[in-house]
Formats: sequence, C-alpha cells, structure tokens
Amino acid sequence: MKRYEEAESVNMGFQIAPMIDVVFVIMLFFMVMAGAAQVEHELKTSLPGVTAVQPETSDMPDEITIIVAEDGVVTMNEEEFDNVADKKRIKSMPDLTDALTRLKKDADARGGKVLVTLQTEEQAKYERVIDVLNSLAKARIENVTFTVGNEDQ
Amino acid sequence: MGGGGGSTESGEPEFQIAPMIDVLLVLLIFFMSITTSEIIKVDKEIKLPVAPDAKKKDKKTEGHGEGMLNIRWDGKGKATFLVDGHTYDQMDALMELLQKKKNASPDYRVIIRADKNLPAVEIQKAMGVLGNAGIDNIAFSALNQE
Repeated sequence: MKRYEEAESVNMGFQIAPMIDVVFVIMLFFMVMAGAAQVEHELKTSLPGVTAVQPETSDMPDEITIIVAEDGVVTMNEEEFDNVADKKRIKSMPDLTDALTRLKKDADARGGKVLVTLQTEEQAKYERVIDVLNSLAKARIENVTFTVGNEDQ
Repeated sequence: MGGGGGSTESGEPEFQIAPMIDVLLVLLIFFMSITTSEIIKVDKEIKLPVAPDAKKKDKKTEGHGEGMLNIRWDGKGKATFLVDGHTYDQMDALMELLQKKKNASPDYRVIIRADKNLPAVEIQKAMGVLGNAGIDNIAFSALNQE
C-alpha cells in the first residue's frame, strides 16, 4: 500500500534535468561530427583549345612538364619528386608543392606565366593526378594542360 | 525590483534554466545544420580522391548551368559514365547530350566526379568528349579529408 501512495504523490510534470542531459549528448555528437564531416571540394581547370585565345605576352611562359607514371612516381622536368615509398609524403607531396610555389613566385616577380603540362601514363591512377592537381592548386598555378601517354590533347 | 528575475529576494543570483535551454537548443540546431547540410550527395559507388587544398564549391554557380559527370570504376577494367543518373555507354550519345546542354546555357560547366582508382586514360576520354561538346569550364571533384 505504501508503494502505491508514493507513486501517486510523484510529480509527473516535465522533467528539465534529463532533457538537458539528452540535449547535451546530442549536441556533443553533432559537434564532433561537424569536425569530421566530409565536404566536396573542386579543382577548377579549363580545357585548352576551346577557350578564347589569350593575347600573347612579350615574355615566354615557363613551361613545365609533370609526368605521372603508372607506379605513381611523379617527375617534373625529369627530376623525381616525393618518393612513393615515403608514405608521409605520398599524399601531400611537399617537395613538389615547394618547387611549384618557388616557380610561381619567380614567374610572378617577372610578370610571366607558368604553363604546366600534366602528362599521365594510360594506367596511372586518377588519385595520383588529383594529388598533383592539389599541389598545383596550393601553388596557385591555374594553367594546366593534360596529356595521356605521348599523344597531345 | 519587479520583473528583473534572476535573483531571489535575498539578492543572491539564481540559476535560470529557461534561457540556458534556449541557448542549448540554438547551439544544437546550429551544429545539426552544419553537419547535415554538408553531407555530400554523391554516387556511393564512387570513391572520391582527397584534395585538402581544393577550393570549396561555389554556391553561386550551383544549380543552374552545372552538370555532374560521374565516372565509376569496377576495378576490372570497365568504366561507366553517368550524367543525371543515366548511363552512357556510347561516347557519341554523351557528347550530344552535353552539346545540347551547352547550347541551352553558354556558361554550362561540368564537374567530373571520378573514382580514385580510375586509370587516367578514362579521364582523358571524358575530357575529350567535353572538349568536343565545346565545354571548356570543368572541375574535378574531391573530398577535403579521408
């Protein structure tokens, strides 16, 4: 009988404390998720040949050829950058990014342009091409041309 | 001081639960919106590559005059080209479609969402089709982190 009386006397109104607990937990969840959210970004480029011809400048642009091999080895002007075996460097490619940034700064100082030709072997992975494009984006180089194998686009 | 609230008659400040709940709910809605709105709506069969230094998508151009070219890779040597959920086996049909879209809006741009394991030759094929359709403004889609 005592138990029944107790139950009747319990206030069944809205409980604020458990609600705050729950809200806190949900908020923490979303705060953590916000940091780990995957967002889609884009690497812009424009196809050569279709775009309007730019007026020729008196300076010759710096032409660089970056070759992406099937095994992921990236060479710029016949010099290998960021060894594939080094897993720390394979994604961010700091050496290539630094070299490209230097070239871009030099070209900017002279008022010239940097033209990059990205030559990829047929079976080279797209992921590796994106790694190189990411380095180019970091170095703020926008004039990129693509070729596959030895055939020009 | 009538209507001031927040303190007892003895002058000691009292913890107010109602404004705290207001603030909590606002924070909750804020974090919910930033996590859910940014979740990408991509083809689940495509594993996008990662490019942390790529630019964020321009919201202004989104929606009008923008197309998605999804390229799946089955890992056995077959690439599948999709535009608006339709598969295009023939490159000519894909080129015709893109040409029509380009004619309809001259600023038409295409975002290539390709699988990270795709061979570069397939990307070249896609860019060849885009070039033939007269589309010069293209972008490669990538994720900000793994």
